[in-house]
Amino acid sequence: MGATMTQKILARTSGRSAVEHGEIIWASPDLVTAPEVSFSAYIKRIREIGVTKLAHPERVAVIIDHEVPVHSIAGAERNKLTRKLALELSVGHFFDGAGITHPLMVEQGLIAPGMFAAGADSHAPGLGAVGALSVPFGFEVSMVLATGQIWMKVPETIRVRLNGACAPGVGARDIVLATMQQLDDEATSYRVIEYQGEGLSTLSVPERMTICGLCVDAGAKSGIAAVDQRCIDYLREHGVSNPQPQASVNSDDDADYAMTIDIDLSTLTPRVSIPPSPTHVREAQAMSDIVIQHAYIGSCVSGSIEDIRAAAAILRGHKVHADVNLLVIPATQQVFQQALQEGLLTELTAAGANISPSTCGPCFGGIAQLTAGERRISTSTRNDPGRMGSNEAEIFLASAMTVAASAITGHITDPRAFAKGGVQ
Amino acid sequence: MTAEVTGATGKTSSGRAWKFSSDISSDQLISARHVFEFDPRMLRHHLLAEVRPEFAQQAQPGDVIVAGRNFAHGSNHSHPFLAMKALGVGLLVRSLSRGPFRLAIFMGVPVLMVTTEVLDAIDDGHQLDIDFSRGAIHNVTTGQQMQVEPLSPFLQDIVNAGGGLEFVKTTLVN
Repeated sequence: MGATMTQKILARTSGRSAVEHGEIIWASPDLVTAPEVSFSAYIKRIREIGVTKLAHPERVAVIIDHEVPVHSIAGAERNKLTRKLALELSVGHFFDGAGITHPLMVEQGLIAPGMFAAGADSHAPGLGAVGALSVPFGFEVSMVLATGQIWMKVPETIRVRLNGACAPGVGARDIVLATMQQLDDEATSYRVIEYQGEGLSTLSVPERMTICGLCVDAGAKSGIAAVDQRCIDYLREHGVSNPQPQASVNSDDDADYAMTIDIDLSTLTPRVSIPPSPTHVREAQAMSDIVIQHAYIGSCVSGSIEDIRAAAAILRGHKVHADVNLLVIPATQQVFQQALQEGLLTELTAAGANISPSTCGPCFGGIAQLTAGERRISTSTRNDPGRMGSNEAEIFLASAMTVAASAITGHITDPRAFAKGGVQ
Repeated sequence: MTAEVTGATGKTSSGRAWKFSSDISSDQLISARHVFEFDPRMLRHHLLAEVRPEFAQQAQPGDVIVAGRNFAHGSNHSHPFLAMKALGVGLLVRSLSRGPFRLAIFMGVPVLMVTTEVLDAIDDGHQLDIDFSRGAIHNVTTGQQMQVEPLSPFLQDIVNAGGGLEFVKTTLVN
């Protein structure tokens, strides 16, 4: 019996030749990511049990991304402490306002095929875009910081085979929403979702971050994408000089999967997650009676240059509706600069959008809060009641194209009518 | 009388059942607006505050949260489990997704996975005596004795140590 990508990664990082599904192992993460939200709290806690230094500081990345620019005294104090601790503890990678953790790790070449990453943040699985296993551990990251190790029950894998290509107006968000429609929480619990197939090669690495990052919202432990030439090319352009060969990282042909589903990308239509959960998925074209006041394009899963290009293409020749506030946040400073160079931010602001510095901000209600009775359509990760402010506000989640089209009309809108030339 | 006792054989508890539905999300347990707060003494006041405000005010050590499937789904936030640990409450749930399950264990919150039949036999306010190490649940109010699968010995060791950091404390090289 062959091994899945996940089994191969966990075998290597636990010093074993092979691992079985369901067994408990101690693995040693190659990368540990902690945002300013919690890093200082973890250090405080491990100091309480007598830990004075990090097990592998060179593997640790600390990122100030949730409150950028800082807008509270408490936040300023937290950032000051975070900077001090990062320096004191000699963490290998420190980013202060350079972008959102997950896209930043990929863009900076800090994650590569076959690596195992432990993340403090829920959407750590986005790093699976480059064939790495990245698992959110929350406060358990404190244990990784202290010991360099974490226990894992080796998860089974659900294989999602993608075929064909998305039609114009349909994108990565619609692929992951289609996946959620086929897999309930009992199917995904304690399992990894692995994307593979020729359809995967139609997606850029940032688009793969969308489909992997949102696996956690489908209830899965993580998401991972098979490695192909497009991924290798991306990594080389981003400073990963010698990525592991595909065959050694990808699942073996005779690997054991818990289940397999097939998705024909050419049949997909634009979809929307309706409140109160990302897994409550509806067709965008059936939602046109939903009037919105706010629209947001950004977050770790949808703030890439591709998302901003797609939004700008939809908005070209149009204006944001007079009753709608459209906020666009490039996920990283590099994406921000690229969007500036391509003239996209000029186009978007001319159409009526507001642009903010790279941050997680609106996704968890940190900025741009909603009040009772308001609705936002958003490319962010979650739509639980109260996630963006009032419990009586409603959040709808969709692709950058659907959000841009809805910002034009003032109600939830299928973007295919506006799409001119496809996902790219 | 309510109490929580950790003996050599593991955790037992005696207290009130606080019953909740299925699909209580992580954000419902503690709103994402408290994401920067990590002090358990503060977080305990926010637990389920927007679903059932009296819970955090009245819950006692030894009480248990009884809930249906997919408990704490969504965000992988540590906050609800820091709060449960601070309150001294345990968990009986039909299912718990992977992230929150781990966090409950890591914080040293005693957990049992229960069947629908067990859930149906417990109403809000019932008095429960629970032996987590054996999976034995005694509904004192109805007199019913129930049995479920306990956690694996490895996970019980972590909970009984008081959580993940206490569990690994002895192995630290520092």
